[in-house]
Amino acid sequence: MLDQIVVTREQLPVKESTDSRTIAACQQGDREALRVLFEEYKDRVYSIALYSLSGDEMAAGDATQQVFLKLMTRIGQFRGDAEFATWLYRLVVNTCHDEHRKQRRFVPLADSFLPTSAGGESPRASYARKELAGRVQTAVAELKPKLRWPILLKYVEGLSYEEIAQVLNCSKGTVASRLNRAHKALGRRLGHLKNEI
Amino acid sequence: MFSKHVTSLSSAYFHDELAARESQRVAEHLLSCRPCRADFDDVKLGARFAEQLQIVSAPDSVWAGVVAQLEQKKVKPARLWFMKPLAIAATIIVVLAGGTLLLRSNRNTGAGQWNVARLGGSPRIDSQNIGDGSRLGVGQWLETDATSRAQIDVATIGNVEIDPNSRVRLLETSSSEHRLELARGRLSAHILAPPKLFFVNTPSGVAEDLGCAYTLEVDENGNSILHVTLGWVSLQLIDRESSVPAGAACAMRRGVGPGTPYFEDASEPFRASLSKFDFADNQTDKTAALAIILSEARPRDAMTLWYLLLRVDSADRANVYDRMTTLVSPPQDVTREGVLNLDRQMLERWKAKLSIRSELPQKKVHSFWKKLWTETLGRIHGLAGKR
Repeated sequence: MLDQIVVTREQLPVKESTDSRTIAACQQGDREALRVLFEEYKDRVYSIALYSLSGDEMAAGDATQQVFLKLMTRIGQFRGDAEFATWLYRLVVNTCHDEHRKQRRFVPLADSFLPTSAGGESPRASYARKELAGRVQTAVAELKPKLRWPILLKYVEGLSYEEIAQVLNCSKGTVASRLNRAHKALGRRLGHLKNEI
Repeated sequence: MFSKHVTSLSSAYFHDELAARESQRVAEHLLSCRPCRADFDDVKLGARFAEQLQIVSAPDSVWAGVVAQLEQKKVKPARLWFMKPLAIAATIIVVLAGGTLLLRSNRNTGAGQWNVARLGGSPRIDSQNIGDGSRLGVGQWLETDATSRAQIDVATIGNVEIDPNSRVRLLETSSSEHRLELARGRLSAHILAPPKLFFVNTPSGVAEDLGCAYTLEVDENGNSILHVTLGWVSLQLIDRESSVPAGAACAMRRGVGPGTPYFEDASEPFRASLSKFDFADNQTDKTAALAIILSEARPRDAMTLWYLLLRVDSADRANVYDRMTTLVSPPQDVTREGVLNLDRQMLERWKAKLSIRSELPQKKVHSFWKKLWTETLGRIHGLAGKR
């Protein structure tokens, strides 16, 4: 079991305006600026990669690495006419698509996909929570990509419908429709666990 | 009676993404429509499960991997070769800059602010028309329209003229770094300072002053062109770098960075082909362009060919080398095999030899020093600078 640390949403601001000077410095190849952006986004990028790549930690780590390398080489293309986060998550989605194609194999969900327990929980509660989280993650991983991405961008990244639409290059209405279908699919697959949430 | 069903709006309603009136309509409808309410409950249940997704911290090894790959990709051209002639110029410039600094220290007293003078029209700082004694603070934009021009004093080390239809911002000013951003338009910089003190960011790369005078232009697409009139300027974007001597120019392309420097008196086919070689996507176009570059090259263009040695594949490198040797013979201890294997020391020695050929036209030197005198040193004797 790997020591994965679950970070609560309160610890990570769901969305914040990335400092334009940091981005400008990054555009000039400043590695310290890249480090600042990395620290700000690494956990969310890694999480979304992990969930979209069936819990394959190695692939998620590789994808996260690729995202920040691409960020460094392509940030010159960022014009500032969109939120930096939106631009970054486009990179994440494309990189995960590429990584998924590279995998070309079924990666079963391992125990390590499940986050470790939060402090202060009883072993029983901890087990139940892990069990539930694992089943949710499995159900999300089994969604079709077009339904899975809006779910990940909404619940892991905390984006608005408008932002999700920009990342996925579709309309806000399409996002609403896909989230509708995704929610119902999750409800159907996990309905027997509704007393555990 | 029931209004239109609202099942398609369930998620948007749950996430509070609807306009107030629409949200109210959905709420009222759900109270009275059992099928829509059941649908909404399904969505709500799925959403509650989705909320169980948690953020997982990335392993520390990810950053180490990023750094390792950046290092692998980093093949920066060394700069030592041009530092030799530059060292002499820099010494002179440092002395002059010191005097200039003393002269100007009483004028630029606002911490983190640069003096701005209107040269024509109505230039603006953050939308306010500028007048006498205007200053540009860190983070502020200076904009010129089609009929206005302005001059900015770069702290105490020189000045920058801003042409019409330009937009510049002061990013940083400190004893170790002065940095402007040129978002669009054109500026002409005259800097009297040690190298690596004044920088201009553009959307396609950064211009690093090495003690010089130059113009830098950014078009609407964020692509840039640099013309150096005195000294040297280094253009950079991540691991791509071009050092541009006086009399030469270099283009930068957004997302690509600096192209290959060339002397402005090179032939038109040479310059056009170099642009294709630097920025075309198609390999066939690049190959054809390289053939024209090699056939059109003069001895003075060996500087450009030196950069191409680093930017072509191994098969073409031999062709570039062979053409270079017909233009400028390599130093005695520089071998064909060493150059084709990109032996750094040999490349540096050859580049040092090439640098002799990039001497400045005397007329431009005279013009620069005259400008320097009238605008700065002349004030020692109470002579007003002429603009």
